[in-house]
Amino acid sequence: MNISDYISIFAIVFVMFNGILGSVLVVIYGERKVLARLQQRIGPSRTGPWGILQTLADAVKLVLKEDIRPQNSDRIIFYLAPLIIFTPIFMLWVVLPFGSGLVLGDIDLGLFYVSALLGLSVVGMVAAGWSSNSKYAMLGSARSAAQLISYELPLILSILSVGLFAQLFTDNPFNLSSIVNAQAGLPFIFVMPLAFVLFLIGGLAETARIPFDIPHADEEIVGGAFVEYSGIRWGAFQLSEYTGLITMAFLASILFLGGWSGPFSDKFVWLQPFYISSKTAFIILLAFWIRAPLPRLRIDQLMAFAWKAIIPISFANFILVSLVVFIGDRISLPIFQIQLILGLLNLISMIALAYLLTSRRKRRLAVYRERWGEK
Amino acid sequence: MFTALFLFFLWRPISLGTTTGLFTALKHAFRRPVTLQYPTEQPVLAPRFMAHPVLTWDFEVDEPYCTGCLICMKICPTDVITVSMKDNEKFASEDSKRRKIVDDFKLDVADCIMCGLCVDYCNFDAIVMSDHFDASVDNRSNLVHDLQTLLDEGKGQQEKGRWSPPATKKSQRRSAAQAKVSKPSSSEEAKESTSEENEIETD
Repeated sequence: MNISDYISIFAIVFVMFNGILGSVLVVIYGERKVLARLQQRIGPSRTGPWGILQTLADAVKLVLKEDIRPQNSDRIIFYLAPLIIFTPIFMLWVVLPFGSGLVLGDIDLGLFYVSALLGLSVVGMVAAGWSSNSKYAMLGSARSAAQLISYELPLILSILSVGLFAQLFTDNPFNLSSIVNAQAGLPFIFVMPLAFVLFLIGGLAETARIPFDIPHADEEIVGGAFVEYSGIRWGAFQLSEYTGLITMAFLASILFLGGWSGPFSDKFVWLQPFYISSKTAFIILLAFWIRAPLPRLRIDQLMAFAWKAIIPISFANFILVSLVVFIGDRISLPIFQIQLILGLLNLISMIALAYLLTSRRKRRLAVYRERWGEK
Repeated sequence: MFTALFLFFLWRPISLGTTTGLFTALKHAFRRPVTLQYPTEQPVLAPRFMAHPVLTWDFEVDEPYCTGCLICMKICPTDVITVSMKDNEKFASEDSKRRKIVDDFKLDVADCIMCGLCVDYCNFDAIVMSDHFDASVDNRSNLVHDLQTLLDEGKGQQEKGRWSPPATKKSQRRSAAQAKVSKPSSSEEAKESTSEENEIETD
């Protein structure tokens, strides 16, 4: 490698890093605005036209704030923890493709790389909570560790089921680019909606979004693992959280919504980044929408939901996909028929699950009425 | 038939609480925001909205209506009014019919409960409830309003038309007092008194 290679690498990394930072600003502004409209408010409207400079002002304020460290905290780990959370999320973007060939490192085991790095944020959370010598931070980090570990499983199982299904199309099913190429005919969301829903729930929990925002339950433990942080270090946590949201949405659009493929995306290459970013924006909007009406789960409800409902379902989904792919491949069914069968089975199982959930609620209501009378 | 089946199979999933909540939120997104952008956008107050009381100004004689009779000070449930009276100089020069006039009037808005009793008891219609709702100040001592501020605010209220001149109301009150004084023991007298009242009102 000569010097021009280094310069080009530096330029690419610089552009990507700053692009992600800028998109985080946009996403935070968009979240505040969309959430406000969903709750019949106006949202930020004072800083700049329509308040578009609000996040920038917040960021400037965070940078200018004093960086305080509690007296008896573990200094090295305290200063390291934001970086431990911050870095893996940005490392993910090395393998995420924006278009055909528009990717920094097109590695063959992209899915494994992604699932490995997604799990790393737990370490940073625990480090932050442990080192800041505060019971609230400790509690928050313990809760978030429990949550992140529990929801890692369904997330990775749904990612793996995508890899399994992509086997039918390519020799290289864990490469993200070939997964996108496999969805040129039919995006995987129509083939396995159950895996998509599981991925969405797991992703919301991993990025600590609202029905699962126990790690930083603002009203209970005032900010979770990073109560003691201030200024730019707290900003780093916030930044990595929103970057995690964008990354999850990007991953979902790659794995399930067909990535960069869309109408005329083969002829006009410049359409590809546009397609993938609009799909990402759609998933992010979905996350905002889910945030608006739902309350926070209690910690025991959260764990029960993970271990009693989501993880068995994701295992069942994994087994279903692998069975269909295996049998279909053995008896050499055409791919279209395999897709149809898998999609129908998924639909049936989703409706059955919904029935199961509602019937459980009805049973509980019946028990309640039996005990306490009509109310 | 197909639609019915479809609805039958989809109704339970849709009727899940989470789904209902999601669609409720979506419905609210298309409604108008209820936010009032306060300093630029003023609220529309109800016609009988009551903030703290202020004093009115008699533009004919160019002096306050208040004679300093102390009735508001006596009736005030939280003791926020302090009044003193003096001899009216304009009475000596026969410009005014008021023998006494208010000397100083202090109102502590911090303790005022905006009950409006002072307005009800005032014999001279000299006091009126204002619509001055944004009463915040940067120092607690600034909440004690003196005579000049109260009169200035009262002029503003009179210009807004939140106060009717006392002439009409005074005649009504006098007729009511006469009805009381006559002590209607029999129904006829009561009838007479009511008819008197009506006559005066029609006048």
